[in-house]
Amino acid sequence: MKRINFTWDKGILVLLVLTIFVGSFITPYFANASNMSFVIQDIGEFMLMSIPVTFLIIAGEIDLSIGSTVCLSSASIGYSYRHGIPFWFCIIIGLVVGLLCGLINGLLVTKFGLQSLAVTIGTLALFRGLCYVLLGNQPVNQLPSSYTNLGSNAIPHTFFPYVSILILIFGAIGWFTLHYSRIGRWTFAIGINVEAAKFSGIPVARMKLALFMITGLMAGLAGVVYTFRFASASPDGATGYELSVIASVLFGGVSIAGGVGTIWGVMAAVLELGVIRSVLQLSNVSANTLLVVSGGLLLLSVAVPRAIEISRNRRKLVSKS
Amino acid sequence: MTKYVAKLLNIREIPVLIALLIVLVVTGIANPQFLSRSGAQDLFLGVAVIATLSVGQTFVITMRHVDLSVGSTAGFTAYMIGKESGDHHGLITCLFVALTIGLLVGACNGFMVAYLKLPSLVVTLSSLWIVRGLFNQIAGGNTITDFQVPVSLGYLGRHSFLDVPYIFLIAISLVLFATYVMRNARSARDLYAMGSNPPASALAGIPVARRTFFAFLACGAVSGLGGAILLARFHSADSNSGLGLELNVIAACVVGGVAIAGGVGTPLGALIGALLLQSITLALGALGVSQFWQLAVNGTLLISAISLDRYLSLRVKPTRILRAE
Repeated sequence: MKRINFTWDKGILVLLVLTIFVGSFITPYFANASNMSFVIQDIGEFMLMSIPVTFLIIAGEIDLSIGSTVCLSSASIGYSYRHGIPFWFCIIIGLVVGLLCGLINGLLVTKFGLQSLAVTIGTLALFRGLCYVLLGNQPVNQLPSSYTNLGSNAIPHTFFPYVSILILIFGAIGWFTLHYSRIGRWTFAIGINVEAAKFSGIPVARMKLALFMITGLMAGLAGVVYTFRFASASPDGATGYELSVIASVLFGGVSIAGGVGTIWGVMAAVLELGVIRSVLQLSNVSANTLLVVSGGLLLLSVAVPRAIEISRNRRKLVSKS
Repeated sequence: MTKYVAKLLNIREIPVLIALLIVLVVTGIANPQFLSRSGAQDLFLGVAVIATLSVGQTFVITMRHVDLSVGSTAGFTAYMIGKESGDHHGLITCLFVALTIGLLVGACNGFMVAYLKLPSLVVTLSSLWIVRGLFNQIAGGNTITDFQVPVSLGYLGRHSFLDVPYIFLIAISLVLFATYVMRNARSARDLYAMGSNPPASALAGIPVARRTFFAFLACGAVSGLGGAILLARFHSADSNSGLGLELNVIAACVVGGVAIAGGVGTPLGALIGALLLQSITLALGALGVSQFWQLAVNGTLLISAISLDRYLSLRVKPTRILRAE
């Protein structure tokens, strides 16, 4: 019999199915179209950001500035719209701002040789600060509703919100790129052993720069989605998103040490966290429990694989002796 | 002469100290109010909490780990001191509550990082949320108000010795003590070895797991103390206390020359880093720059500090190798 090799990302899929099953049992409000639509809308930004961050963490880097980048993208949309620029062009500005944020991070890491953890704590403060510089204390609320309706309405005749199109497209691109393309193999190679990757001719610096830029761009896109969803741009939006995104990526079976992970594990993890939040909210459990549950799950996601590894090693030792 | 200057510049804290003096002097000239008695007190009061927390963080970062849970722990402690001790209890009770919570969180973090060998970033990110969740559950919408703060603690937060606030004196004595320990105690020297080269330090016979555990334990205890100082400083606490403090603490450490890659740095450096960040924040206010620029300037400063640090370490390293030969 072929033994199924347990990995955490498979565990997540099982957990997801279980949660949906249990959830529809405990509360009658969970398994219906409008709630599903709400769940997907709720995790839209996280989904979009977690895809490039998966690449980044697999390559052994980290980006703590994405929450601030989301906000800066949103703030620059609001700022330019306030100054009379047509809204479609504001969206492009938001995306470009995201790309620039990623470029700054990437250049600091690859050209200056700085630690990404330290750099992105710095840019976290910098980008957030720029949001305040742009908007002051005044959020921009009068955004054209023809656009912002896209953020709150569902695609006609279905219950899927518009953001699910983006999730599907970028999820597919991310999945294909990470698991079936040269870029994906390079990403893993860099994460497993940077030196070896360098010596085998992989353009490590260029790859890392590109990964940071794509992360910035996707955070910019998440900023656009965020602006649409809340129909406003404020300087204190998306606070703490970076830790949530990184936590869901790690929860999805990506190793913080680099070199391990799958896109579908991460996407299932983001969905799982959204579903758990929805179930808990619908069964009137407080938001505090949610914090504890997310923390506990995150801990489990590193502890369980570790426990399996330890028990396997023990078995090996026993069979050897 | 130039030899001494070069030697002095090689001490990692010196460039930060120079930057701090420049900020203080320039702002002092532009706005004399800044260096007045109340201006100095503002600076000292503002820096006390961060300086305390950065002591524990220095231990942890030196080993090439990180502790993200300090903000939650400090906030939780601040609230619990107010809730448990009421207004009639003395310092001992406060200290007891602070250390109990701090040591408990530190022990959990330390156990998982040191003995289960889980990555510290993930472990402490989880405990950040778990502690914050428990804290919110207990605190709900309640606020610890001024009259619930223990009298002794309130006194420390309000009064000064020779114009230096007591809580800053506590923070700085903790920093000096920790700096002395990290300079002289063998167990603390081991932290540097572990941060510079983890496998080599294990091979050299350093009890890596035990050291890691106790460093996290110390960091937890210091976070508890930081919570007490937080309560003394603000005379109030609610479920948002200490939110996001962890990144400020790490920023202070990094600016003060505690490299995130491990192996270098002192608590004194972290204190100077905290002072620099705080004095720039205050200086912007004193110079009439819009408050909205503060965060952006802090971020830029942090990035330039690590860039400068990188530049200096690239310059310093070859001489060290030569000296060894």
